[in-house]
Amino acid sequence: MQKITINKGHNINISGVAPSEFSNAPTQKLVSISPQDFNYIKPKLLVKEGDQVEMGDALFFDKLNPDVRWPSIASGNISKIIFGERRAVLDIIIEVNHDKELNVEPVKQINLSSKDDIKDFIQKHNFWPFFSQRPFNKVVNPKDSPKCIIVSLADSSPLANDLSFSLSEKREYIISALSTLKKLTEGNLYVVVRGDNFSFLSDYDFISLIQVEGPHPSGNIGVILNKVNPINQNDIIWTLQGSHLPILGKLFSKGILDFSLNISIGGPAVKPSYFKSRIGAKFDLHKDSLLMENVRIISGNVLTGKKINIDGFLGFYHSSFSVIEKSFNRPFIGWLHPGGKSKYSVFNAYLGSNKKSYDFTTLQNGSNRAFVPVDAWEKVFPMDIYINALARSIEANDIDEMEQLGIYECDEEDVALCSFVCPSKSDVGAIIRKGLDTIYFDK
Amino acid sequence: MNFLRKIFEETGKYVEEGKPLSWAYPLWEAADTIFFSTNKQTSKGPHIRDNMDIKRTMFFVVIALIPCYAFGAYNIGYLNALAMDLERGLIGNTIFGLGYVIPILIATFVAGAICELTFAIIRKHEVNEGFLVSCALIPLTMPPDVPLWQVFIGTSFGIIIGKEIFGGVGTNIFNPALTSRAFMYFAFPTKISGDKVWAVGPDGYSGATALAIPANPTEYDTASNLFAANNQFDFSMINMFWGLIPGSIGETNKLFILFGAFFLIYCGIASWRIMVSSTLGLVFTALLFNLLNYLTVDGILQSGGTPNAMLTITPLQHILIGSFLFGTVFMATEPVTSSHTNTGRWIYGFLIGVLTVIIRSINPAYPEGVFLAILIMNMFAPLIDYYVVQANIKMRLSRNV
Repeated sequence: MQKITINKGHNINISGVAPSEFSNAPTQKLVSISPQDFNYIKPKLLVKEGDQVEMGDALFFDKLNPDVRWPSIASGNISKIIFGERRAVLDIIIEVNHDKELNVEPVKQINLSSKDDIKDFIQKHNFWPFFSQRPFNKVVNPKDSPKCIIVSLADSSPLANDLSFSLSEKREYIISALSTLKKLTEGNLYVVVRGDNFSFLSDYDFISLIQVEGPHPSGNIGVILNKVNPINQNDIIWTLQGSHLPILGKLFSKGILDFSLNISIGGPAVKPSYFKSRIGAKFDLHKDSLLMENVRIISGNVLTGKKINIDGFLGFYHSSFSVIEKSFNRPFIGWLHPGGKSKYSVFNAYLGSNKKSYDFTTLQNGSNRAFVPVDAWEKVFPMDIYINALARSIEANDIDEMEQLGIYECDEEDVALCSFVCPSKSDVGAIIRKGLDTIYFDK
Repeated sequence: MNFLRKIFEETGKYVEEGKPLSWAYPLWEAADTIFFSTNKQTSKGPHIRDNMDIKRTMFFVVIALIPCYAFGAYNIGYLNALAMDLERGLIGNTIFGLGYVIPILIATFVAGAICELTFAIIRKHEVNEGFLVSCALIPLTMPPDVPLWQVFIGTSFGIIIGKEIFGGVGTNIFNPALTSRAFMYFAFPTKISGDKVWAVGPDGYSGATALAIPANPTEYDTASNLFAANNQFDFSMINMFWGLIPGSIGETNKLFILFGAFFLIYCGIASWRIMVSSTLGLVFTALLFNLLNYLTVDGILQSGGTPNAMLTITPLQHILIGSFLFGTVFMATEPVTSSHTNTGRWIYGFLIGVLTVIIRSINPAYPEGVFLAILIMNMFAPLIDYYVVQANIKMRLSRNV
């Protein structure tokens, strides 16, 4: 076991953290899978509206990488396919019509002894979309062999789903998923945990357990890799969402497809709680728990999640909804405000500001301005990368310099805090994504 | 308040995109967001943002300068009372001084606002609050009765040449406030240097700054003795710290400058690394010169030439005389023109300290070296950063085998 302490960073103390208990929720009638949740794919549909599908059936595949097909996350019929501009597929909505799980493979027939067996098995059940790679944060290419695999069970983002609670009953599936994943790589299988959570994992030698301490983004795999095994040029690293481990574990050990997921709902504008739900769950089942009218619903966390409507769905890689108030408040001479409970800042810029449990809103709290390097980004960015220089090389479109400065190690989520603290209100994540796009499409 | 809100909403309609007055949008936006905080929404992740913005950042620097302004005004009155042999009291002195400070402040802000707004309109970008800081700094570097038209030209030069021609805030190489100080020093030397300008007195009244005394001694002695021998002003250490001596408006009171420094460091706006390292650089070089003086005057390296009294200034005296503290706290730490990396900031600051003492002691023409030292290091800051970043690149390449 390796202990890592991250010093630079910041835990955003937003109010509405879900208490560790499950609330009852009605059964999901509609679930969705959206090709928009995956970077750099060209989806080709294999189903049309009205089709009957079973769990695990392929819904669409990636034209650029036809081995990767997306599984149906429910049995039922395709009730609607929503198209956007230029017929981009936005949502494939499935009406759930029966059981929560489906036995697709007798236990005796499961053979996961070699790497190729496992890859065939994943391929057969269309499970590749659960695997994403760094750099670029995209679905893996099954032909690659990753340098290492890393899974974070220590999500540190604000209002994150606390996996030590929500996965607490799924210990055996986590083990079986991890033992199979280990066979996919020659390198290490890193599992990131916080404190004493998941301490049972230390009994297994094949896991390189990393115990992390410190503020967000300490639970991000990019930050951990930067410390233990940096991503070099041409390296490929595979990763999975910690919350998906039981889903894989159940398939690998019992041959059962079960896309259930324990999700958390949190934020200042909602009654926070955990729910036993499933991948692609629809939000409007929970609309009774909203505390106010004018809200923004976010699939994922408040730093990197995506904005959805009230009838929107949980993103594929997400396991939480966050709800914040949409505020259009314009205080008189706000920049002169002395401070108090109505202000939150990483800087010591307000007297007695509320740093315990703050009701964040959608306000940007300032206008966009030219970038002034007051050392704000660096205070919350723990990787040994000159993020400011990197951002400038991206703006200058200089691919060589981006590579030299370590763009492959970064992802949007790692720099989200930089955007949060930036007094010029820059969107650093968008800059990093722009740089990654430039490199991706250049190759 | 609602009434004011309504005015902005009504006028806002005229400056929208496509309307004939749309060129005035930056002006409207600037005024609008001064009165009411913007309600601009986040569009995607991060959906929440910190409450700190550039307006408040820049405003905080201005707050840090207010004590310097107050003391500067008082000091003008005090020195004048001394010259005229008057008794005016605290309030009387301050009011007398404000009569000099406020016109300079107005001239600076008018010039600065004209330049900034013009460029905002031409370039179609929002008005950047950074110019407020530049304009608040410039009067503090001036002697009290500098002609206002010179201030006006100097400020315009600083904002345009120091900042706007490089693309505005964020892309400028030189600190705009120092650019105007340097411009005025070279363009109007009679009004901004010498012995006649630092204290307001009767015609022909002369009052040398602390730096000028060891620079132009009637005969060689150590700086401490020269200070003690001066009977016009009290150049004791404690009084140089407190600041009742001739000098630029904002530079003399070291206590209030230190207050500003701690305030800016506490708020996380200015870099303490630059302040500390420039002081270290100054102390290091001053000690080196002290040693050099000891060796050439009393020691083994006696040269026979005229000894330089500037070499005898102790490190603490270097910190207390002239505008070193003011420069390092408010000018050197300007985030855009200083180094952008923390390692770079240590080097950048240290060299400012070194250059300050070198220019002060060795350059015979002008005893104040801080503004030139900072401008020179502004020029080298990108180079320092380049090498710091190259080290990081080399580390990454060496890993990538």
